[in-house]
Amino acid sequence: MRESHLKILQYATGVGLFFLVGTHLTVSLLIGGEPTSWESVSGRAASAAWLTVYILLLMFGLYHGIHGLRTVILELPIPKPAARVMDGALVVIGIAIFSYAAYIPISAF
Amino acid sequence: MRELTFRVQRYLPGRDGKPYVQEFIVPLREGMTVLDGLIYIKENIDNTLSYRSSCRMGICGSCGMFINRFPRLACHTPVEELGTDTIEVRSLPNFPVIRDLVADLDPLFEKHKSVKPYIVSSEIEEAERPTGELLQSSEELESYAQFSYCVKCGLCLSACPTVATDPLFLGPQSLGQAYRYSADTRDTGAKERFKEADCRHGVWLCHLAGACSEACPKGVDPALAIQLLKRAMLFDILRIGKAKQLAPIAQSPAESKPKIDVPEFTVAQP
Repeated sequence: MRESHLKILQYATGVGLFFLVGTHLTVSLLIGGEPTSWESVSGRAASAAWLTVYILLLMFGLYHGIHGLRTVILELPIPKPAARVMDGALVVIGIAIFSYAAYIPISAF
Repeated sequence: MRELTFRVQRYLPGRDGKPYVQEFIVPLREGMTVLDGLIYIKENIDNTLSYRSSCRMGICGSCGMFINRFPRLACHTPVEELGTDTIEVRSLPNFPVIRDLVADLDPLFEKHKSVKPYIVSSEIEEAERPTGELLQSSEELESYAQFSYCVKCGLCLSACPTVATDPLFLGPQSLGQAYRYSADTRDTGAKERFKEADCRHGVWLCHLAGACSEACPKGVDPALAIQLLKRAMLFDILRIGKAKQLAPIAQSPAESKPKIDVPEFTVAQP
């Protein structure tokens, strides 16, 4: 992908995170009840809407954070082959973390 | 008579292991610039001092130097404005040194060439054998005129913190010129320039430090040009925004209707 495409995704996930994190915090903290109680957590785990929010939050947060890390590392004068290896490693790490972290809410659904 | 102390970087490859500083005492004259001081040193004290200069009026961009820890044109910097009697002069940072105050500006020109800094026209026949002028409104001219004032002095690349960490970064000068030509209604080469700027060392490394615009002696504001380039590139990918209206060819006088009554031509017209 071209750098511009990656940047568009960075901006889009940033905007998405604003709404997703906002939703998560609003419902968790501002609407009544204890968000960490067993009833509350198991209720959200059984909800398709919440599952979607959490998966999207995970996906957007992982992309935004990993691409941000990539941007910082690419500021350094690293050789092109090393940059390619770094890109590949970040993709593998991102997919691995997403797979493991997504397994938890999906299996709880 | 008031005297100034010039602390000048000296370096001769092959003789000196690394650059060192040499001090010269220069008498202050009214209206004197840093370049005047260097000329005095070369003519009266040490004729081996090497530096670039040409127009001595801030239009050629040859005398770019690091003066009192800021990139400036030596001819365009009155010593009184520096507010000190000690003038430190070094070659431009972020460029290799050839000798003394002479920097190797090849990286600047290579990056500049890579963005195709000329009008690219899809109408090759018309470009090679023009049949008429290309019409451009004053608004269309104003959209890029500011960025056309660039004199390729290299001060912006010297000031840029991203060039300091990544020498392969295209830099404010070439990215600014990429926008200048892409915004020109006579040009159809925007996509080729976008591809060049859309690399790992391209436009997205710019984080809007703004040091380039602060250093520019001609008011080009390359930082603005880079942000406009980013917007143009994103709009091109997302296919949003108004498409650029290409400049039409002016009708020949024989084809256009005269706005006022004019006498008949007395010579044959083509």
